[in-house]
Amino acid sequence: MTFLAIRALRKQFGSLVAVNNVSMEVAAGECRAIIGPNGAGKTTFFNMISGYFRPSAGEIELDGQPITQLSVRGRVARGMARTFQITEVFPELSVRENLRIAAEVQQGLSLRPWVGRAARARVEAAIEASMARAGLVEKADRLVGELAHGDQRAVEIATALALQPRLLLLDEPTAGMGEQETYQVAALIRRLHRDHALTIVLIEHDMRVVFNLADRISVLDQGRLLAEGTPQQIADDPAVQAAYLGDAE
Amino acid sequence: MAPAARMRLLKLAVIWVVLLTAPYWSAPIGGYPALCSRVVILGMAAMAFNLLLGFTGIMSFGHAAFFGLGAYGAGLALKFATSSTILAIIAGVLLGTIAGALLGALVVRRRGVYFAMVTIAFGQIFYFIAFRWNTLTGGDDGLRGFARQPVGIGRWLLDIQHNDILFYDFVLVVLAVVAGLMGLLLQSPFGRTLLAIRENERRARFLGIAVDLHIWLAFVASCLFVACAGALYACLNNFADPTLFNYNMSGTIVIMAVLGGFRAFWGPMLGAAVFVVMQDYLSSMMQNWMWAVGLIFMAVVLFFPRGILGVLRRRASA
Amino acid sequence: MTELLLFNVTNGLIIGAFYVLMALGLSLILNLSGVINFAHGGFLALGGYIAFTMQPFIGFWGALLLAPVLVAVLGLLLERTMIRRLYGRDPLYSLLLTFGLAFILQDFTRYVWGANGLPFTVPAFLAAPISDQLFFVTWYRLFMVAVVAIAVGGLFLFLRYTRTGVRIRAGTLDLETVSVLGVNVGGLRAYNFALGIFLAGLAGVLASGQLSLVPNMGDSLLMPSFVAIIVGGVGSLPGTLLGGLLIGLASGLVTLFWPSAADAVIYVIMAIVLLLRPRGLLGEEGMLG
Repeated sequence: MTFLAIRALRKQFGSLVAVNNVSMEVAAGECRAIIGPNGAGKTTFFNMISGYFRPSAGEIELDGQPITQLSVRGRVARGMARTFQITEVFPELSVRENLRIAAEVQQGLSLRPWVGRAARARVEAAIEASMARAGLVEKADRLVGELAHGDQRAVEIATALALQPRLLLLDEPTAGMGEQETYQVAALIRRLHRDHALTIVLIEHDMRVVFNLADRISVLDQGRLLAEGTPQQIADDPAVQAAYLGDAE
Repeated sequence: MAPAARMRLLKLAVIWVVLLTAPYWSAPIGGYPALCSRVVILGMAAMAFNLLLGFTGIMSFGHAAFFGLGAYGAGLALKFATSSTILAIIAGVLLGTIAGALLGALVVRRRGVYFAMVTIAFGQIFYFIAFRWNTLTGGDDGLRGFARQPVGIGRWLLDIQHNDILFYDFVLVVLAVVAGLMGLLLQSPFGRTLLAIRENERRARFLGIAVDLHIWLAFVASCLFVACAGALYACLNNFADPTLFNYNMSGTIVIMAVLGGFRAFWGPMLGAAVFVVMQDYLSSMMQNWMWAVGLIFMAVVLFFPRGILGVLRRRASA
Repeated sequence: MTELLLFNVTNGLIIGAFYVLMALGLSLILNLSGVINFAHGGFLALGGYIAFTMQPFIGFWGALLLAPVLVAVLGLLLERTMIRRLYGRDPLYSLLLTFGLAFILQDFTRYVWGANGLPFTVPAFLAAPISDQLFFVTWYRLFMVAVVAIAVGGLFLFLRYTRTGVRIRAGTLDLETVSVLGVNVGGLRAYNFALGIFLAGLAGVLASGQLSLVPNMGDSLLMPSFVAIIVGGVGSLPGTLLGGLLIGLASGLVTLFWPSAADAVIYVIMAIVLLLRPRGLLGEEGMLG
């Protein structure tokens, strides 16, 4: 069953066409990787899905509902959450507070001047669950800005998860990380995908991570969809090798 | 009780003991009740302003407008409508809050320097209104001919009109209410959402937070409390004049918050104490003292950007 | 009636010309450095006073040329020693620093030249009216408008055709890329700051011949200049030009019908613009928040 459907999506900045007529269907529970050389339009594509930019043309559907015109908030309300290439967290707050903010938003409390005991207990439970899932329990009271890069990334992912999304968008989750941290983050994503049947779309440069995690891979090149298929099909595709794997790695 | 919570309670106790006894311990070093009242009222304004700067990460440079509206609202009410100081203060608060809600709606989508600039410019409107609308506001000469009235509580009548120390205590009661409300607000989910916006607006937006709505609400709350301080200020002086609306007043509110430490809840109150006392001293020493105030501004920016409490905290953690 | 109308229109244009000079300088600095220069009015007054002091020695024309340059040099010194340290920090700090600087500049001029207004004489042929019918328009007023027009025209040509000018414009749009291309951003900002202050100094000299020379003469021009920038659109210099002329003209016309509202009308215009076109008349999406 198709969960995220994208039809003929296009984005133009002045005379530059960053994304050109890209269509894609992601099944429920699938982990889809989007790869491509720098400047291929991956992040622009992501920004349109998450509502950061309005597309110049094309349609986006989530779970059968059109979302092309929805605001960021509207999309979050329908179960979409994302992370950014440069980790976006609340640096001067503790891990627990970062997750508390997300949990309170998720439970519709963000405008409340006070909360009752029951609601507070639900928030606490959600925080504990998110920390456990992301392996952050021991770091609960540390300031996020003081954590290592990999842990900050884990906090960002956990924050997104606290929204209880149905679709998770990850923009280069292992960017700028060392061997150990890359492994940690990849393992976290794999666990989420496997244990929670979450639909995930991720942009990634590290091919080991991509081939390890993805059910299917889409290759963008110069704003167009160059190829799509299972990791094996992509690895064997001569056009992909020419355009990307050959010269990039 | 957890050690952190006990520590907080202890700090709060110290702050209130210092505040309650201020007219007595400050007398030998040149303090007097009206000066204490001025410190607390301006400190209240700076704390209210700091809801935005320190806890939402938004820089409003036009808070004099709402301070002034509070003052004129209370003054006009006392002059024409009521003999109740408390009703007059409520009138001032309403005037400032309504104006804040309207102007806030116009500026709320702007950020950073743009937000600062638009709020500076809008603040000036009220300066001109107060300046030009002679018949109502007394124009350049200011609003006169009103006086704060004694406050009755049950069988007692507190003569805050003639007893300056009683008035100071009255100001402290209002401060307790205002600070209590602001503290509750900041510890609520709403307050945490404001912190999220301060820390990382983009992340907040992609958590699905209605950022503009939250900033607007914070702006309105901040205007409400600033207007309350302004209303008290009119009661303190039995006078209000257009300079209250001037951008110099806005700058003073900002510098008090920064000087004390805008990341701390009580920092602006400390900043107000230091600033007001220095200003009082300077103006008694020389005729032209604005340059010295200017030096204070520059010194704070260049040497204490995180304020007095910021420096102390760094010392403590180092 | 026609005469009165004409009088107020020319008045509006002249005051608009001052707004434009002030606002363009503020805008240059704001766009490239993200600094709201609250001391701009102080530099303006200083320009007038320096011209006043130099005039007996080098004449009106010499003072007109040299005074703005001296003010710009002072601006450059302050930028290099203090304001430079605040780039990249919260704009709160540069705002507070220039706020303090404004106090100091004003007290400094008061200390040196006194608080009372001083007479600044312009050459006799400029002080004469252009005709009997148009007795209210002196040659000096036309001259001021001409100088402002030349200065603005020169500024736009400079920004369009010189290498430094192009870099300043590019830096306004995308400072990161400009610095990656190897441009010395610190130097560019210093230069640009001095340029903005030069315009303030020039406005000061011109204003001295028209308004009275008092230490706080810049104050009444500062807020309208902010409004001009907001109305025109933050980030757009043509917008600032348009905004300055527009609000100058508007306040000139309103003076005719409802004098006591002349100060407030520009804020009404600002409110309307923010309601209908939140980015300002010529502002673009995404500039400076």
